[in-house]
Amino acid sequence: MASLGKAGGLVRILTGSLPKSSPVLTSVRFNQTDAKKEKTTFGNLKDEDRIFTNLYGRHDWRLKGAKSRGDWYKTREIMDKGIEWIQKEITTSGLRGRGGAGFPTGMKWSFMNRPDDGRPKYLVVNADEGEPGTCKDREIMRHDPHKLIEGCLIAGKAMGARAAYIYIRGEFYYEASNMNAAIKEAYDAGLIGKNACNSGYDFDVYMHRGAGAYICGEETALIESLEGKQGKPRLKPPFPADVGVFGCPTTVNNVETIAVAPTICRRGGEWFAQFGRDRNRGTKLFNISGHVNNPCTVEEEMSVPLKDLIERHAGGVRGGWDNLLAIIPGGSSVPLLPKSICDDVLMDFDALVQAQSGLGTAAIIVMNKQADVVRCISRLIDFYKHESCGQCTPCREGVHWMKKMMTRFVTGNAKVEEIDMLWEISKQIEGHSICALGDGAAWPVQGLIRHFRPLLEQRFKDYEKSQELQQSAQTI
Amino acid sequence: MASLKVVNFLQVLSQRSLIRSFHASNQHFVDIIHRPVTLSGDKNKITINNTEDISVISGVPEEHIKERRVRIFVPPKNAMQSGTHGSKTWRLEFDTRERWENPLMGWSSTGDPLSNTHVEFSSKEDAAAFCEKNGWKYQIDERNWLQTRPKSYGANFSWNKRTRIGSK
Amino acid sequence: MLRLLPNSRILSKAIPPVNISYKARECASKAAETVEVFVDDKPVQVQPGSTVLQACAQAGVEIPRFCYHERLSIAGNCRMCLVEVERSPKPVASCAMPVMKGMKIKTDSPITKKAREGVMEFLLVNHPLDCPICDQGGECDLQDQSMNFGSDKSRFTDNQFLGKRAVEDKDIGPLVKTIMTRCIQCTRCVRFANEIAGVSDLGTTGRGNDLQIGTYVEKMFKSELSGNVIDICPVGALTSKPYAFVARPWELRRVDSIDTMDAVGSNIVVCTRGGDIMRILPRIHEGINEEWLADKSRFSYDGLKRQRLTSPMIKDESGNLISVDWETALLRVCDAITSVKGAEIAAIAGGQVDAEALIAMKDLLNKLGSESLNTEEIFPMDGSGTDLRSNYLLNSSIEGIEESDAILLIGCNPRYEAPLLNARIRKAFIHNEIEVGYLGPKIDLSYNYQHLGDTTTSLENIKSSQFYKEHLSKAKKPMIILGSSALQRADGTAVFAKTQQISNELKEAGSSWRVLNVLQRVASQVAALDIGYRPGVENVRNNKPKVLFLLHADNETVRREDLGKDCVVIYQGSHGDQGALMADIVLPGAAYTEKEGTYVNTEGRAQRTLVAVNPPGLARNDWRITRALSEMIGQPLSYDNTNEIRDRLAEMSPNLVKFDTVEEANYFKQSEELFKDIKEKIKQDSFSLPMIQLKDYFMTDPITRASPTMAQCVKANNKEA
Repeated sequence: MASLGKAGGLVRILTGSLPKSSPVLTSVRFNQTDAKKEKTTFGNLKDEDRIFTNLYGRHDWRLKGAKSRGDWYKTREIMDKGIEWIQKEITTSGLRGRGGAGFPTGMKWSFMNRPDDGRPKYLVVNADEGEPGTCKDREIMRHDPHKLIEGCLIAGKAMGARAAYIYIRGEFYYEASNMNAAIKEAYDAGLIGKNACNSGYDFDVYMHRGAGAYICGEETALIESLEGKQGKPRLKPPFPADVGVFGCPTTVNNVETIAVAPTICRRGGEWFAQFGRDRNRGTKLFNISGHVNNPCTVEEEMSVPLKDLIERHAGGVRGGWDNLLAIIPGGSSVPLLPKSICDDVLMDFDALVQAQSGLGTAAIIVMNKQADVVRCISRLIDFYKHESCGQCTPCREGVHWMKKMMTRFVTGNAKVEEIDMLWEISKQIEGHSICALGDGAAWPVQGLIRHFRPLLEQRFKDYEKSQELQQSAQTI
Repeated sequence: MASLKVVNFLQVLSQRSLIRSFHASNQHFVDIIHRPVTLSGDKNKITINNTEDISVISGVPEEHIKERRVRIFVPPKNAMQSGTHGSKTWRLEFDTRERWENPLMGWSSTGDPLSNTHVEFSSKEDAAAFCEKNGWKYQIDERNWLQTRPKSYGANFSWNKRTRIGSK
Repeated sequence: MLRLLPNSRILSKAIPPVNISYKARECASKAAETVEVFVDDKPVQVQPGSTVLQACAQAGVEIPRFCYHERLSIAGNCRMCLVEVERSPKPVASCAMPVMKGMKIKTDSPITKKAREGVMEFLLVNHPLDCPICDQGGECDLQDQSMNFGSDKSRFTDNQFLGKRAVEDKDIGPLVKTIMTRCIQCTRCVRFANEIAGVSDLGTTGRGNDLQIGTYVEKMFKSELSGNVIDICPVGALTSKPYAFVARPWELRRVDSIDTMDAVGSNIVVCTRGGDIMRILPRIHEGINEEWLADKSRFSYDGLKRQRLTSPMIKDESGNLISVDWETALLRVCDAITSVKGAEIAAIAGGQVDAEALIAMKDLLNKLGSESLNTEEIFPMDGSGTDLRSNYLLNSSIEGIEESDAILLIGCNPRYEAPLLNARIRKAFIHNEIEVGYLGPKIDLSYNYQHLGDTTTSLENIKSSQFYKEHLSKAKKPMIILGSSALQRADGTAVFAKTQQISNELKEAGSSWRVLNVLQRVASQVAALDIGYRPGVENVRNNKPKVLFLLHADNETVRREDLGKDCVVIYQGSHGDQGALMADIVLPGAAYTEKEGTYVNTEGRAQRTLVAVNPPGLARNDWRITRALSEMIGQPLSYDNTNEIRDRLAEMSPNLVKFDTVEEANYFKQSEELFKDIKEKIKQDSFSLPMIQLKDYFMTDPITRASPTMAQCVKANNKEA
């Protein structure tokens, strides 16, 4: 199951040494032939391989506690290895963005390596975690804020950023408090700010609290909001790496992406790459909510089977696995999966795309057979309708329209043809809006229609029958 | 090539001679424009003098020839709409005159057939030649708008330019 | 027989790309390297940095759009312009996407069509579809594009359950009517207000389906360019209040003309139905008004129907003006003229007289032996005075503002004296990063400027100012715009001489760039000076003429008290305003929409108005009145029709009939020499401006004073303040 690379990582942790320059590294990366052997089973992450060791807040989140868990350990040495080394480690690790879209982080950072044109560069950390079902970033920020700050410094160094802006969701009051306290500690300890970690690199970390708009979690809307404007997404191109916050090159990364970066650098990209399937490497925070016995946030290996994840960490579905109706595997924006698919699907980007869904933020929403799936989706559409920024036509008008239809679908007050119409409308939104909110609103509906069409039809029939009954009762 | 577009049908019907004149002129016009240079020695080819004036035979009353002022222009795009249809060909128009409110219904009446007529051409030279042949004094208004210069969406967010948009 | 040409045939002819204009030529030579893209498999060479939409336009393919406007920033939010681009997973918004080499754009593919149809359906789902009662009906982008690109069937079943969205109408003043339910949130008006007008009164509030355009708190859209939001609104959400429910576009007869409310000479389209002007729209002219029109020019047309002089009038024994026929009135004028010596006749021309009327009056008076031809507007006559044309023109031209890199404004308020010139300065300010310095009382110019003081002392010390040192003296193409109100001062000559001296110092040797610019305020002034009128009415006041012609002169520059008791005042003009009040004989003339007249704008660009409607009642074209009078006096003028009087104009000054061309006038050196003898000193005084606030802008001439709409604007502004 586990390759030897894992042991290597462990050794490194124990000895406290860092992976050295690349020639040495190749010699350290022993048994490369072994590493090529792909794993076939995933999951059951060992404690020593966890990155977020204070996920549940059982230990001190402050600087002292963080240091005792290995944060800020030889950060300067990592920085001294240089931009190219950090980027190479991240690329080797195969880390993909943890915010939902899953863009390869190493590649994203490399976009910042353009010749200097006089503009400062910025790192923006997307901590506007608003996706229904998702609650991973808040755990990091309130229990492990120093991981994020250290990540900011290393990521900032890797892209030559002048400063990092952490855009935190407005509702996260305690998280923001902890972050602020941690930032102050880091400044006081000289870890960030002028001559951060004595590396000669100046790096500031600022925190900006949002005002409670889901759309501000979209990177360009976040940038707009950070600039003090209405949080309405921009078109791409220009991409933030070209014209971002304050018109300067910017990289927007999710909290989790940034927070894992120091550990990857410390333990090596190869270590991170041993988890999960090809193109879906690493460990990941999974949020399991809904009809499970023990809703939780847990760090697991990528590509862990969905069933294993729920059974092992969340105490199983309420009423047993057979009582499962559907699962939304990646936060509210992705299409749901019926039980038949959930039985053996792996939790990673590719497997879920193959299953016509997506990993998203890896927030698993479980619905058992006691749930009204139509109402669940309708509620999600209500959310999207409320959170659409109103800038572009398909999303503004389309999501509202879908909401109206879904409301009727819940009661069954609709005709069977309207299911196709709803499908078409969702297709008309998908891919036509400025940002991905339109897509995110369209997919849950598409998932519902794809997998629960008979249910809808039955509901419409029932409604019609009840209406007829009512009418006949009235005529009598 | 000259083409005729008559706006007001009633006017057209009451002014047969006018239509004939336009039509006749079209024929000549084509010949002038497409007169083959290489065949100039061809004896079968009838060459027409460029300065031909058909106003004597066109049937247009003399006062409509001597005093009319013709304007040749390209109609600009309507400010109310974004479409550019109708702003691509050259147009010939006469000055407005003799219009009054009809006392019966309050509609607009006119005693002038020409000011309700406009003719479209693919080039101003064609239009000018047409005027010359008919003996009208004309004025060419050059097209005074142009294709746009490159625009950039990124300029809205420029870091040091005033094109940066502050609010929406 | 008759050949009616179907529209399709006109269009199917290949239309060559337009690159005839000055700017375009310049661009073409600059950007030799172009990018090749394929629009529907047709290769097109486009300038790098262009958008896909522009590339398509160049290929002759028009992309449907709502939010995109050529003169506004790109928003990309209506999504109507989505097109398929090969190897792009999603359709792209062509208005914002820059072209890339070898891009294959498909404007007619199933994906593109589907995208358009979908967006169209979404736009219509909450649109009231009240076209029959909508003023935009017939010239509505939404209407046209839904015909072209929309679906052929409706499936708005949900409207039966919950209805459509309804939005409260906003009250943004007496000019723009809002029916916000019709709004499709394209934000063109918001961008116009922020970018062109420089007034951030409009914005969006709310989110998602509740997004609304508005002013947030109920207030007036306080801009002198507010009417343009009516034009740019692609639907009927913003319509003209005075034009509401008045006419349909297909009933209107459109006559191209020129505006005479200021000296900019904006190109307009006068829309008429029957004998009435229904509305006035701007007409594109890159060199002058681009695509915009100031509110006074757009909305004061209702003043053309009120207070009009419809028949000749003479004063009876009791001192009342009574209507008479033309013969009686002209005979009375004849009597008055023939009973005095020629030199005792004088004329004053107002601000809206056409060149034809000016020259006819001049010819008549010259024949009678008078040289006393004056204009209401003052201009210093010492030194080279009005002898050199470059002294009284906006020499660098309005389009030149965009080439300039630093502008100094002296004693003028371009925002209200020439709103479109100001819009041009703002455009240059935003897009070309120019610096603007300003001398005069502190005002809001809609862009930031460096205030260099409001006194003449600041003018004398201009060279020590930071603005001069840092920007003006370093500029390659500096501009100095001197307001005509600064020249109305008693020490106007000295102010002019000083400004000229500064300008000439800034002028680079050998460069043909012209630094000195005079901003005129009234439409007729340049033509009058070209023809040889004497600016100012000093002459009349001093010489006390026996017969005085007031040619559209209504600004009370001469009062009855200034004249002799026996002076016969003949007013010839369109409105019963101040001029007619003091007149003994009134001759009804035509307003600018009723005659074919030549006007020369402040750049020296001759343009002509065309007859849109007939003059009311017995009113006649002004030069024809003078012509008739000359016949009666027995000194007939030599021209009988427009062609002939235009020949006379050409004889006088050829530039008057070279329509739409700006003749370069470049005699600054000579002028400065002539000014050297001026001993006059600048008085220590502060500059004053006639128009400081928006409310001062609306009523400035007989037409606007007669306009109820303008009166409402003033009222609304007073209320707001």
